[in-house]
Amino acid sequence: MGRYFAIRIGRAALTIVLVVTFAFVVLRLSGDPALMILGPEAPPEVLAAFRKAWGLDDPIWFQYLDYFGAIARGELGRSMRDGRPAIELVLERIPATLALTLPAFVFKVALGIPAGIYAALHRGSGIDRAVMMTAVAGFTVPSFVLALVLVLVFAVQLGWLPSGGQDSWRHAILPIATLSLGGAAVLARFTRSAMLEVLGQPYIRTASAKGVPWRKVVTSHALPNAAIPTVTILGFMVGTLMAGAVVVESVFAWPGVGRLLVVAVANRDLAVVQCILLLVAMTMVTSNLVVDFLYGFLDPRLRSKGAHA
Amino acid sequence: MTDATLKDTKAFSSDVDSVSRKENASRLGSSVRRRISLPAIPVSVALAISWIVAMLVIAAFAEKIAPYGFTQLDLRNRLSAPGNAAHWLGTDELGRDVLSRLLVSIRISLLIAFGATAISAMVGTTLGFLAAHFRGLVEQLVLMLSDFQASMPFLIMALAVLAFFGNSLPLLIGLMGLFGWERYARIARGLAISANAQGYAVAVRQLGATPSRIYLRHILPNIASTLIVSTTLVFPEVILTESGLSFLGLGVQPPMTSLGNMVGYGREYLTRAPWIMLAPATTIVVTTLAVSVIGDWLRDRLDPTLQ
Amino acid sequence: MSAPLVEVSAISRTYSMRSGMFGRATAVHAVDAVSLTIARGQTLGLVGESGSGKSTTGRIVLGLEPSDSGEVRFGGKPMAAPGTAVWRAQRARMQMIFQDPLGALDRRLPVATQIREPLDIHGLGTPAMREERVRELLRAVELTPAHGARYPGALSGGQRQRIVLARALATKPDFLVCDEPVSALDVSIQAQVVNLLVDLQAQLSLTLLFISHDLRVVRQISNVVAVMYLGRIVEIGSADDLFARPEHPYTEALVSASPAPGRRSAGRIVLSGDPPNPAARPQGCAFHPRCPRAIARCASEVPTLAAISGDRRVACHLVTGTPARDAA
Repeated sequence: MGRYFAIRIGRAALTIVLVVTFAFVVLRLSGDPALMILGPEAPPEVLAAFRKAWGLDDPIWFQYLDYFGAIARGELGRSMRDGRPAIELVLERIPATLALTLPAFVFKVALGIPAGIYAALHRGSGIDRAVMMTAVAGFTVPSFVLALVLVLVFAVQLGWLPSGGQDSWRHAILPIATLSLGGAAVLARFTRSAMLEVLGQPYIRTASAKGVPWRKVVTSHALPNAAIPTVTILGFMVGTLMAGAVVVESVFAWPGVGRLLVVAVANRDLAVVQCILLLVAMTMVTSNLVVDFLYGFLDPRLRSKGAHA
Repeated sequence: MTDATLKDTKAFSSDVDSVSRKENASRLGSSVRRRISLPAIPVSVALAISWIVAMLVIAAFAEKIAPYGFTQLDLRNRLSAPGNAAHWLGTDELGRDVLSRLLVSIRISLLIAFGATAISAMVGTTLGFLAAHFRGLVEQLVLMLSDFQASMPFLIMALAVLAFFGNSLPLLIGLMGLFGWERYARIARGLAISANAQGYAVAVRQLGATPSRIYLRHILPNIASTLIVSTTLVFPEVILTESGLSFLGLGVQPPMTSLGNMVGYGREYLTRAPWIMLAPATTIVVTTLAVSVIGDWLRDRLDPTLQ
Repeated sequence: MSAPLVEVSAISRTYSMRSGMFGRATAVHAVDAVSLTIARGQTLGLVGESGSGKSTTGRIVLGLEPSDSGEVRFGGKPMAAPGTAVWRAQRARMQMIFQDPLGALDRRLPVATQIREPLDIHGLGTPAMREERVRELLRAVELTPAHGARYPGALSGGQRQRIVLARALATKPDFLVCDEPVSALDVSIQAQVVNLLVDLQAQLSLTLLFISHDLRVVRQISNVVAVMYLGRIVEIGSADDLFARPEHPYTEALVSASPAPGRRSAGRIVLSGDPPNPAARPQGCAFHPRCPRAIARCASEVPTLAAISGDRRVACHLVTGTPARDAA
């Protein structure tokens, strides 16, 4: 089993390396960083000095390694807009994002998984159809449309809730609702299909034919087996805790990491974009690793024979 | 999330029927199952297909059908509500006819979606075949890249590229073309490996066929149906992602208009003139829904386990 | 005409298998120092259980897999490395018939197209000539053009195998390797297909390597028979002679298990012990744990294939070597 984890950790590290490489390549390919950061009106001497200071005259391999070093040291550049270190800007926005994504995650799970399980157990019933319809809606309605519709109904027409900003807890309701509904629909659909796949297996029929009460069949056999693929998708959702609210934050003018990213992209504030990219990558990789570890414990097949994955 | 949608997820209305039919079919054995095809197209799928056809027609003839030019200003008629004779869907804040803009937006959005899906399918399938054929280092490289792609949220990477490279339509199509390639690659690789291990691929190889002949004439047609089903899953996601990017102002840039763009503009006037946003939003939702319905139905018909 | 068409010298093939994540890599000697010759127009039957390495041998002889050592020569020239252009061109002269005819055909194409494919690949003749050849081949395997228009799924097992045969003969090859070609067919169909093969061989002067575990079929078609066990040839000789007077204990057991008309069933020899596992090959003679007549020497020394009379060669200490002082 040690080998299984070693491979997983190796892959995680490799993903981080790839993300950093991606950022580096894209940065270099898109033009002269000096020009981009200092602007086209900067005089040539300033540009030359900048290049020298940043080692942009060095061979590309050297720059690449240097880049890694810089990131490891946490020197991720300064924002072009206000000159503050990018990493500070990003870090201070994290709580705001988490204030949305964490409760949303809880709601997603609390709504989506039971709905999916129920739908699978009562396949063909009214509830099943209702769940499937909402699930399809969750898949086809983009988050910004859902957000705007909610705003239209609750803020504009009914006037119950505010439509933007971060002044009070009321302001968080609509964004969290948007995130939860979309995610719950996806989760319900997924859980339902995982459960259905498990319920269709011969061993379920055998268990109930043996006289095991249905409730026990579900809790001891069906649920644990359906849990395994569900953990993967939950892991993905956890991984998007940082990045998943980009659109929602923009719609509701919520000052989180997502909104910062959109503004930074619009202003081509490369240091900030880079920083957020790395943050998102780290979050994804960490949560994937956690999922992999959980898999190692949950799936006994992996424990005894090592991974075939 | 992607793997989830590839599993058993059927459209709501055909769900019960197709599932019970499948159960009956599996009891009768695989050869009989192949002969049982859905006797008629379900209503929902027929509606979906007609919608998509309508969209395609609009995309092709947008300029000819549109009553006004999509940038044409009519400043005296700003923000007029839908339902009047001159502007069926109303006008926006600059007096531009919403209907005309909608028609042109459909064309742009569909253009991007088709272009991107085609690129993604070709790139993904080719990489999958390369990985299956050469194994070894090439395969590891492709697997690594596809893991990487699958694990990073596409939106974030797209935003990063847009930040660094700026914006233009070819770039946008190319960028969206990277959406979902890993799904095709994974499918193509898996199916090619199993085809190569035994069966017709080996037989044709030892007839003396060149690898390209084997892949193009034999393996590809045999896996085409699975790839097509994947395409119907990727396509709506491309539309949604591009709309999202355009909504944020980072996708399609003015004066060009896309569905997401229109929603973005409409947001400013949500209180006074919600129709500006509702028309494109509804179009996005219904189109995505239609493609999903068709995809689910196709997957029932071209059940991959029959391969 | 007397120079052998196919000469195989001491080929071997070893796979490395890992048992689970933590097991150590074990070497599986699928084929070990196998040498054969096949004369033009003759059939060599290769017999053995599963795990004996006969399929792998067939693939190496055809050049589908490289050999770890030794050499295969075809028509006096060495076999090209698989995947190269020379190798592809050589395919026109040698072909393989597989065990699973449905698996060997592309389900999506009508069978006539597939029979034509080798001609398209090697660019032989004009399109009209190719069509004519397809018709000719269908006739040769006793099928009609109507059959040719069907898809593989619409044909019976025997018919499919005939199609595979027709396709294999399209380029007029000299050599055919048949890997269990009739094992997946009904017994009555087996006889038909084998008869067809025998007829075609006579008509076209084909050289065959016929691989099977079924002695009855092998007996019908082979001139020379080689018996394999766990990667090595244990006995080889002319077919009639070998079946009438088997020398190696393993061959004796095989022959006794397969009834033949005109031969009194002299009592079946039932082998004890575990079936052969290529990943765990016994020391010395690979057969010794199951051999009813094994002596001490069998557990330590590997017997070599030695001639005993005429064209018969056997690898058994009891038959070829002088047994040492120890009694059985």
